[in-house]
Amino acid sequence: MTQRTSTRPAPGQHRLSREFITQHQRARIIAALAEETAAQGYRAVTVADVVRRAGIARNTFYDNFSSKEDCFLATQDFAVEEALRRVVEAATKVDSWQARVDAGLAAFLHYVTSEPALARTCIVEALSAGPAALARYEESLQAFIPLFRIGRKVSPHGEDLPETLEETIIGGVFWIIYQRIILGETEEIEQLLPELVEFALTPYVGAEAARKATA
Amino acid sequence: MAADPIDTSVESARNYPPELARLPPGRHGLPREFVVHNQRERLIAGLAEAISEKGFAGTTIGDITRHAAVSRRTFYEHFTSKDECFVAAYDTVMAELSERVGAAFAEVDDWPHGVRAGIGAMLAFLASEPNLARLCMVEALVAGPVVVERYDAAIQSLVPYFKAGREGRSPEVLSRLSPSTEEALVGGMVSLISRRIIAGKTAELEGLLPDLVEFTLTPYLGSAEAAKIARES
Repeated sequence: MTQRTSTRPAPGQHRLSREFITQHQRARIIAALAEETAAQGYRAVTVADVVRRAGIARNTFYDNFSSKEDCFLATQDFAVEEALRRVVEAATKVDSWQARVDAGLAAFLHYVTSEPALARTCIVEALSAGPAALARYEESLQAFIPLFRIGRKVSPHGEDLPETLEETIIGGVFWIIYQRIILGETEEIEQLLPELVEFALTPYVGAEAARKATA
Repeated sequence: MAADPIDTSVESARNYPPELARLPPGRHGLPREFVVHNQRERLIAGLAEAISEKGFAGTTIGDITRHAAVSRRTFYEHFTSKDECFVAAYDTVMAELSERVGAAFAEVDDWPHGVRAGIGAMLAFLASEPNLARLCMVEALVAGPVVVERYDAAIQSLVPYFKAGREGRSPEVLSRLSPSTEEALVGGMVSLISRRIIAGKTAELEGLLPDLVEFTLTPYLGSAEAAKIARES
């Protein structure tokens, strides 16, 4: 929000490329939608609220998005892409799969805590923002499956693990985060790291090895 | 049906599965209490049907009364709004579901098999009632804050079934379980079920039983034992 005033050029005075401005406008609208959604809930938010919060013209909103829902879906896409980027970046810095789960989850929980409005929008409000948003949410969970699935190669009984294991692990992790957000405990989410890593690793490597990985 | 004496108690009326709870139109000479209760059930079943066709947001009161085959006036005798009708429907479905889960769990003595029976009962109910499954696992989330609150509470109400698994475990096992283990298990299980319903695979839900049993028992019993119980026929 502090960025908003400092980077907004006065009308007609900017010499920035059109593409840069468009990108920047989109990001600002997305941030505004997330803030409004987190504050009032998706149903109550209007395009006018978003426009006001973003400090842009109504026309600019419609240059970028066709509707509130369109903007919401773009917000989800933005957050998932950013979350995945951070998770993968953190995970590739370490070697073993166990350490990668630990580092990736740490990066994810950190992102959630540092962007509370975006987190609430994409993890809580997305569930009640209509069928398209719900479908998008479901797809976004799928994106994390391959990261866990590698654990089957590390596991001594990898071939016998339930086919749906990754889906249930990811669903469990998101449920815990969802609960913390609705209880207003978003700031404490990062503290859940050891238990969530253990929860995710136990089916693959057993509880003892999972505990060691979090130590 | 006419030949049988009709039990007018509320309990008995509640036992009517919604699909069977259609009354022939016109005069039927049934006691008023039964009719009133039955109309309510028909409206609830009508809402579930309408919603599975059009989603919560797209469903109108006209859709509900058409599916229920009652008048608009009858609707307003029971409910003030679509939202209120949804809450009633949600509570009815969840009461039925939790009763079945509780009964199945209690029928078995040992905890792991009780969990298996409970999950089995839940999957069987949802698979056999696709409209109600959609209503309580998917549409509940879009039906406004009142229902979302109830949805959260309903899911959290499954936590004690799993917490019971801590009883009698060795200190070693107990030390490995974290305060949020049960919450994560319940969340993971429900999320998988919802995903299948959203994907239109409600009829195949019972096929998830072994996976869900293994997933939920593993933290308490270890992989090998959990897998064994999961694959019992």
